[in-house]
Amino acid sequence: MSEQKLQSQTVQTTGHAWDGDLQEYNNPLPVWWVYTFYLTVIFAIVYWVIYPSWPFGKGWIGGLSNVTYVNSAGETRTHSWNTRALLMQDMNKAAVEQKPYFDKVAAMSYAQIAKDPDMNGFILSAGKALFSDNCAPCHQAGGQGVMGFFANLTDDDWLYGGSYDQIHASITNGRHGYMPTFSEVLAPGQIDQLANYVASLSGIGHDAAKAAAGDVLFHGEAAACYYCHGANAKGNTEIGSANLTDNIWLWANVPGADSAEGKVAAIRGVIASGLNRGVMPAWAGRLSPEQIKVLTVYVHELGGGQ
Amino acid sequence: MAVTTYSGAEQYNFEIVKKFAVMSIVWAVIGMFVGVYIASELAWPFLNFDSPYISFGRFRPVHTTSVIFGFGGSALFATSYYVVQRTCQTRLISDGMASFTFWGWMAAIALADISYMLGHTQSREYAEMEWPIDILIEVVWVAYLAVFVGTIMRRKQPHIYVANWFYLAFILATALLHTFNNLAMPINLFSMQSYSLFSGVQDAMTEWWYGHNAVGFFLTVAFLGMMYYFVPKQAGRPIYSYRLSIVHFWALGFMYMWVGAHHLHWTALPDWTSSLAAAFSILLLMPSWGGMINGIMTLSGAWDKLRTDPIMRFMIVALSFYGMSTFEGPMMSLKEVNALSHYTDWTVGHVHSGTLGWLSMITFGSLYHMMPKLWETKMYSRKLIEWHFWLATIGIVLYIVAMWISGITQGLMWRAFDQFGNLQYSFVESVAAMHPFYAMRAIGGMFFLVGMIMMAFNVFMTIRQGKRESAELEAKLAAKLAHA
Repeated sequence: MSEQKLQSQTVQTTGHAWDGDLQEYNNPLPVWWVYTFYLTVIFAIVYWVIYPSWPFGKGWIGGLSNVTYVNSAGETRTHSWNTRALLMQDMNKAAVEQKPYFDKVAAMSYAQIAKDPDMNGFILSAGKALFSDNCAPCHQAGGQGVMGFFANLTDDDWLYGGSYDQIHASITNGRHGYMPTFSEVLAPGQIDQLANYVASLSGIGHDAAKAAAGDVLFHGEAAACYYCHGANAKGNTEIGSANLTDNIWLWANVPGADSAEGKVAAIRGVIASGLNRGVMPAWAGRLSPEQIKVLTVYVHELGGGQ
Repeated sequence: MAVTTYSGAEQYNFEIVKKFAVMSIVWAVIGMFVGVYIASELAWPFLNFDSPYISFGRFRPVHTTSVIFGFGGSALFATSYYVVQRTCQTRLISDGMASFTFWGWMAAIALADISYMLGHTQSREYAEMEWPIDILIEVVWVAYLAVFVGTIMRRKQPHIYVANWFYLAFILATALLHTFNNLAMPINLFSMQSYSLFSGVQDAMTEWWYGHNAVGFFLTVAFLGMMYYFVPKQAGRPIYSYRLSIVHFWALGFMYMWVGAHHLHWTALPDWTSSLAAAFSILLLMPSWGGMINGIMTLSGAWDKLRTDPIMRFMIVALSFYGMSTFEGPMMSLKEVNALSHYTDWTVGHVHSGTLGWLSMITFGSLYHMMPKLWETKMYSRKLIEWHFWLATIGIVLYIVAMWISGITQGLMWRAFDQFGNLQYSFVESVAAMHPFYAMRAIGGMFFLVGMIMMAFNVFMTIRQGKRESAELEAKLAAKLAHA
C-alpha cells in the first residue's frame, strides 16, 4: 500500500487492513477539538452551578441564580431559579400593565367607556386577545360567524338584542336557541306553504297562492308560529326568536341557494326539522366580570351595537 | 454453475443485502411521498378531502415510520450486513435468521403504516406502533443482534473494524430503548390498545429518553457506522484518525443517554432534570463533531474527487449537514433559546436538516457505492446521480430556510405583548402568517422527492443491466466450456 505518499512520513497507519484496502491512520486528536471539548466541560460546570441541575437526596441542588416575583396574593417572593417563578414574573409584568385599565373598566359605565378614547385602545387590544382565544373558534376571527351554525356579530341583526346589557347577558349566561320540529305536526304541503310565506316576508321569490295559505297557518293555531316570532314576524329578543322580515339568515342557508326554489327549500328544512344547535356556553366563571365587560364593549363595537 | 468473482458472491450472503437495499429505496419513495403530501396538506388544507385515513394526524406517523424505519432502517440492515461480512471476511452466521429479519422488519413497517391509517396509535412519537407490532419488532431485533454478533464472533480478521462498533452500539441501544419505552399492559389479548406502565411526567420522560436516543443511536451512531466504511472506501483513503474514532465513539455513547429531557424544557418536568440535560447537550457537541472531522479529514488530499465524483459529493454534503445540525441541536437545547424555538417549526426544520441533509445524503452516497457492486456492474446513469444530488441539495435548503423563518416568526408572534400587556397576536394569526413558508417547505420536499424517484429509476435500470451482463457472461462461459 502506498497511502503514505500524501501524508507526512511520521503518521503511521494502525497496521490493520480490512476488506482489501480499508486502513486507519493513527493521527493524534486535533488540538482545537480537544480544547473546545474542555471549554464545553467548563460551560457545563458553570451551567450546573447557576441552575438547579443535580438530584440530591430527595430533592435537588438549587443553583446560585434566583428569581424574584410577585405572587397572586401580591407578596414579593425570591426563589432559586425555577420555570414557574419565571412564568409568574412574566405574567405579573403583563398583569401590572393591564391592571389600571381593568380597574377603570370595572368602575366605568358602558357609555363612559365608549366615549373615552384612551379606553378604546385598551378595549381593541384586550378585546381582540380575549375574543381570539374564547369566541373566534365559533364566531370566527372577525366575528362574521358561520352560516347555519354561529351568529354573525358584525351586522345589526340580533337574536337576543344588541344593547350593552343584552350582549352582556348573552356572554355571561350563554344561550340555547331552540325551535320545535314541525314535520310531525304539519303536512308537507302546509310546511311548503309556510316556507313560501316566510320567503315573501323578505321579498324572496315565492308562490303567491301558497304564501297566502301560509299566512293563515302562521297566524292560526295549527302552526302557531306567531307565538314565538310575533304577529308581525319580527321576532322576540326575550326568547331569541328570529326576525323573519329582514332577509338576514342564520339557520336557513338562504343566501347559499342559487334559485328561488332552493331558498324556499332551505326555509322548509328548518321548519320541518326545527333547531336544537344554537348552544352558546356561559362564560361567567371562566372569564372575570371585567373581562366579560371588555368583551361586551368589543362585540358591541364589531358592528351593529344598539 | 456459478462464476467466482472478486466480490465473493459465494463467500458472502449478498442476497439479503440486495433485498434490504431495494426495499430501502421503495420505502424512501413511499415515505417521502407521504411527507410531501402532509406538508402540502398544511399549505393547502383541501388536500385532506375530508378523509380520516389521509388526515395529517394519521399520515404523519406513516411518513415518519416509512422514512425512519422503512428507508433508514432497511438501509442500515443492508449496509450493516454488507459491511460486517466484508470487514470480518466471513459469511453471515445464518441465512435463515437474516431472511427472518427481512420479512419480519417489512411486516412490522407495513402493519404499522396500515394500522396508523386505520386510527391505531399508542401516541408515543416515533414509537406509535401498538403492542402487537412492538413485540414483532422486539423478536426481529433480537434475531438481528444474534446474526450481527454471531458474524463478528466468527470473523477471520483479528481486529473489529470501527464501522462494526458503531453498528453494534446502534443495535444494542435500540434494543434497550425499544423495550423500555414500550412497556405496556394490553387491555386484553384481542385489543390493539394498551396502558403504558409509566404515567404523567415519567411517561413523558421515558418517551423522550427513547425519542432522543432513537435520534442518537438509530439515526446517528448507526449512520456513522455507514460513514466509517463507505467514505474511506469511496475516497480510497485510510480513516484520518483511529484514536479520534475511539474517543468520539465512547464519548458519544456516554453523553447521548442524558440529553432526552431537553425535549421537555418549560413543561411539568422538574427544572433540575432539564438543565442537566441541557448541559449534557452542550457536552455532546464535540463528540458529535469527532465523526464529522474524521469523515472530512479522511478526504483531505483527495479534494479533487469532489469535482469528479458525485457520490463523494453526497458524502461530504452529508457530513457538513451533520456538523451543522449537531451544532444547532445543542444551541436549541439551552433553555433561553428553547423558550423561543420550542413547539415551533424551527424544531421541524432542525430535524429535517439532520434527516434530509445528513442521513439521507450519506445513505444515497453509500447505496450508489454499494448497489453496482452487489449486481457486479456500474451505475446505469451518472448524469442522473448528478441531478439527484442537486435536486436533493436545493430541496433541503428550501425546506430548512422555510422552517427557520416560520419557526422564528411563530416564536416571536406567540410571545409578543402590546403596550397594554395583552397578547398581540392570536394563535390563528400566527397560523395564517405561516402559509407562504408552508408552501415553500412543500416545494422543497417535492424537489427532494423528485431526486429520490430519479434514484429509484437509476437503481432499477442498474439492476436490469447487472442481470443482463451476468447472463451474457454465463452464456459466454458456457459456450467456452462447450468448445473445450
